[in-house]
Amino acid sequence: MCGILAVLGCVDNSHAKRSRIIELSRRLRHRGPDWSGIHCHEDCYLAHQRLAIVDPTSGDQPLYNEDKTIIVTVNGEIYNHEELRGKLKSHQFRTGSDCEVIAHLYEEYGEDFVDMLDGMFSFVLLDTRDKSFIAARDPIGITPLYMGWGLDGSIWFASEMKALSDDCERFMSFLPGHIYSSKCGALRRWYNPPWYSENIPSAPYDPLVLREAFEKAVVKRLMTDVPFGVLLSGGLDSSLVAAVASRHLAEVKSARQWGSKLHTFCIGLKGSPDLKAAREVADYLGTLHHELHFTVQEGIDAIEEVIYHIETYDVTTVRASTPMFLMSRKIKSLGVKMVLSGEGSDEIFGGYLYFHKAPNKEEFHQETCRKIKALHLYDCLRANKSTSAWGVEARVPFLDKEFINVAMNIDPEWKMVRPDLCRIEKWILRNAFDDDKNPYLPKHILYRQKEQFSDGVGYSWIDGLKDHANEHVSDAMLMNASFIYPENTPTTKEAYYYRTIFERFFPKNAARSTVPGGPSVACSTAKAVEWDAAWSKNPDPSGRAALGVHAAAYDEKVASLPAVNNSSSPNGLPQKKLQEGIVEATATSV
Amino acid sequence: MCGILAVLGCSDDSQAKRVRVLELSRRLKHRGPDWSGLYQHGDCFLAHQRLAIIDPSSGDQPLFNEDKKIVVTVNGEIYNHELLRNRLPNHKFQTGSDCDVIAHLYEEYGEDFVEMLDGMFSLVLLDTRDNSFIVARDAIGITSLYIGWGLDGSTWISSELKGLNDDCEHFEAFPPGQLYSSKAGGMRRWYNPPWFSEAIPSTPYDPLVLRRAFENAVIKRLMTDVPFGVLLSGGLDSSLVASVTSRYFASTKAAKLWGTQLHSFCVGLEGSPDLKAAKEVADYLGTIHHEFHFTVQDGIDAIEDVIYHIETYDVTTIRASTPMFLMSRKIKSLGVKMVISGEGSDEIFGGYLYFHKAPNKEEFHRETCRKIKALHQYDCLRANKATSAWGLEARVPFLDKEFINVAMDIEPEWKMIKPDQGRIEKWVLRKAFDDEEKPYLPKHILYRQKEQFSDGVGYSWIDGLKAHAAENVTDKMMLNASHIFPHNTPTTKEAYYYRMIFERFFPQNSARLTVPGGASVACSTAKAVEWDSAWSNNLDPSGRAALGVHVQAYEPELPAAAAGKVPTKIINKMPRMVEISAAELTIRS
Repeated sequence: MCGILAVLGCVDNSHAKRSRIIELSRRLRHRGPDWSGIHCHEDCYLAHQRLAIVDPTSGDQPLYNEDKTIIVTVNGEIYNHEELRGKLKSHQFRTGSDCEVIAHLYEEYGEDFVDMLDGMFSFVLLDTRDKSFIAARDPIGITPLYMGWGLDGSIWFASEMKALSDDCERFMSFLPGHIYSSKCGALRRWYNPPWYSENIPSAPYDPLVLREAFEKAVVKRLMTDVPFGVLLSGGLDSSLVAAVASRHLAEVKSARQWGSKLHTFCIGLKGSPDLKAAREVADYLGTLHHELHFTVQEGIDAIEEVIYHIETYDVTTVRASTPMFLMSRKIKSLGVKMVLSGEGSDEIFGGYLYFHKAPNKEEFHQETCRKIKALHLYDCLRANKSTSAWGVEARVPFLDKEFINVAMNIDPEWKMVRPDLCRIEKWILRNAFDDDKNPYLPKHILYRQKEQFSDGVGYSWIDGLKDHANEHVSDAMLMNASFIYPENTPTTKEAYYYRTIFERFFPKNAARSTVPGGPSVACSTAKAVEWDAAWSKNPDPSGRAALGVHAAAYDEKVASLPAVNNSSSPNGLPQKKLQEGIVEATATSV
Repeated sequence: MCGILAVLGCSDDSQAKRVRVLELSRRLKHRGPDWSGLYQHGDCFLAHQRLAIIDPSSGDQPLFNEDKKIVVTVNGEIYNHELLRNRLPNHKFQTGSDCDVIAHLYEEYGEDFVEMLDGMFSLVLLDTRDNSFIVARDAIGITSLYIGWGLDGSTWISSELKGLNDDCEHFEAFPPGQLYSSKAGGMRRWYNPPWFSEAIPSTPYDPLVLRRAFENAVIKRLMTDVPFGVLLSGGLDSSLVASVTSRYFASTKAAKLWGTQLHSFCVGLEGSPDLKAAKEVADYLGTIHHEFHFTVQDGIDAIEDVIYHIETYDVTTIRASTPMFLMSRKIKSLGVKMVISGEGSDEIFGGYLYFHKAPNKEEFHRETCRKIKALHQYDCLRANKATSAWGLEARVPFLDKEFINVAMDIEPEWKMIKPDQGRIEKWVLRKAFDDEEKPYLPKHILYRQKEQFSDGVGYSWIDGLKAHAAENVTDKMMLNASHIFPHNTPTTKEAYYYRMIFERFFPQNSARLTVPGGASVACSTAKAVEWDSAWSNNLDPSGRAALGVHVQAYEPELPAAAAGKVPTKIINKMPRMVEISAAELTIRS
């Protein structure tokens, strides 16, 4: 990832302004530790902090067209850049960077070129000929982008809120799949795939088509000039990413440079379910597997920094981001700059446990659509910002434009969880990779039900967080929560604790409005809470709350118990609580 | 390098205090991007940000002795750690980290173990049995360290000023070669080499002894488990470092892991003297050479960041730190974590041009002693902080304890510059590596006079800085300088400009006292300014000011504009085209 910051039309081209923008741009340096650049054209500034993944030696930004009248600052990866270069025969390229096509495409096609890009991106393009500019963000919002307005009439764009929150009167997150053009002065959606309307599709399920689409999505993402790896939690999604990546590694340029063995990474509390599951998959695939252990105390010590980096107070996101944030630091320290990750699959295929309760295929499908549209506020934000905090780039093949089109065009009847037909969640994905001749994964892994992220790193992680929050948030504080935080009022001590930290870093009204709220159970949208009357009473947003749907719940919890007792939680993990958790989880077990 | 922060006896063991210490420790994260650790024992906190060079997979800190009663947080490298481990046969080590020996040595030998360490280090050791602690810094101050005191009775130790300046009532640079012990409640100097007294030594010069001592110093510093390289400006010192390193490189562990060709790095404005000189040396040695070009605008844009990182307003240091800071970022982005660098030679051998004017060998020798003692405020500070800003570690073989002993024991008559006998500055060092059979460097490089650092990156760099400062500092501001800045009053617009930035980051009175001041010409101490009466009138601290001593002396230049094209100038009858454009940087590998 890189970090971008653009300030346009600030009516001030003094040295002081330049210094200020350089200073603000430095707040994004973690995203791009390798180099920085700033281009100033009258009162417009484009700044860039670079993480060099493709063409490390010459692709420093901002990037230009031939006569330097068009300037671009980009955060992202354009996977089809070679193909696009082919279409621009009359253009001369200065660097090997994948993002350089953007300036030239604009020259050739105007604003409409955005739809031609295949990848993840956020960029600002300044056309100095008429001092117009455009800003755009990828379809799903894999890369973050914020937009703000200054009192001086300036428009600001930044990869993270922290770069513009102090200098803008108002700001918001830039909607994914949208483009802002200074000429029309408004946002419009450029991303218009068939699924967006939420109509119910009817294409029959073809396992091979789905498999092929996913393999292509992974292979595209192996484009890199630096060492990379795969985040492997041992669940279905990350295991498939690892299986496909290791299968195609040998064909790729980077593999030849950095060794032919795939690196995989997993994090957890000692003895956690994820560590065990990931190890099994890694052994099967023969990857160079790195296991990273953290303690509850280490996680708690990192919480403030995590919230500063991911810029949210959403409870599930903070819980899940912390291990990922810690892991990213270790990954980076090993010299790895890019990782593939499994985000998006649960949204596309309805993999969250609460999907078991979807009343019909229409509701099921619409909920998947809603979930994909909201990804930029949750898992995309987490995956991008917790890795970028340490200059690691996360690529997410499940959110490939083409793959989404294929997967979201399948008659949702096939996606429904049908215990009677032995179809567990994400069955169509599992079945697509169920190859008896040349197996991607052993059957028991392919059909294994998985922990939701925060649980998988070790059950005592969430319990430890709650205990810690309980120690620091009093009942009286929580009582006044609705007066202190009228918007998105925290309903638990844990939420209250995160919120106080968030407010300290980002005190403005506009900042808290960038974070979603509303009722949710086990990561559902507010709409899906209606699926089960019992859910609206349960304020716990973790996967554990979607009770009675996890088949293996009991066994795994017992297995994790001894490890939990040995964990170095400073609070001495309350045994009673854990027992309750087990009872809670198993009482209504199917 | 790593970053350490310790807060001892703050009478507060609350979560809020813990969070505050964590927050402050994060200000040192650039020094140790790989992992962090915090150890709390009652109201004592030891925090650490780690750059993993030795045993990356298990050496996370703080480190402990066997029963975890003794806790250490260290920034540094202990080159003789294997030898020391062997002396501790009945101790069990938990990690392969070189710093793991410290807790065990303390158990065995008490405070006096510090002298046994060969390397660069800053450490805090907490003995939880009686809640006592000790703090120590290496002989010369290669690693940075500060000490401060809070109003609550706490003692603070931090690798950089920014880790403690907001929370301490008073703070200072921790003097190099010293040890603070809570039991004694004071500092004492543990480093007591013969040269420290500044008495004039009388050992005759033996080229081979000097050569061997330097080679040993370099070889020690090849201890690493991660990719490394050498900073090569093309001058004598860095060229010798590169030459000796490349000679012994193949047998190192790093070479086996990361390839047998040495990487060398040089930074400069396009067409600068250093780039040319370094390329020549790199070609001769056959290193994989990386050239980094920066523009004056790149440098100016980085100045605030540089001052924040290196924590000084000393003009020469800032000028020289900026290219090093920019280069370090690029080096780190190539995956290199450690570099070997040539700092210290000019101090030990009297390599600065003003040494030409030393009136006698006694003055010459005492000036070298003074220069070495002040290194921690100048070149050590620069080399350490400019690289650490990007998680890169700099190792400096010229400042090896043993090597200094040898070099500072030579009768200083030999170090004197004697044009009549063909002895230019640093002749004893050049001569030591003048090997006809197996040459370290070609003769013309070995006996070449070199630009001082800031000039070598390109003459328009300093001119550009001055022009930029002149735009931002008015004559009126200068007029009031002595009232606004009564301590170390800036006498040039450039100095004023740096000072303003420094004061913004570090407004405390203690902070400005950590930076040295006083009269200086071309990096001399105040004492040496007396050598030439003309010098006291010249305020320019760069090497160029020691006029008339560089064999290839050149004509004075026209000041360069901060932006736009600078006209082609004739310097040394060598035309240079310098373009100052928007931020751009190219690498040639």
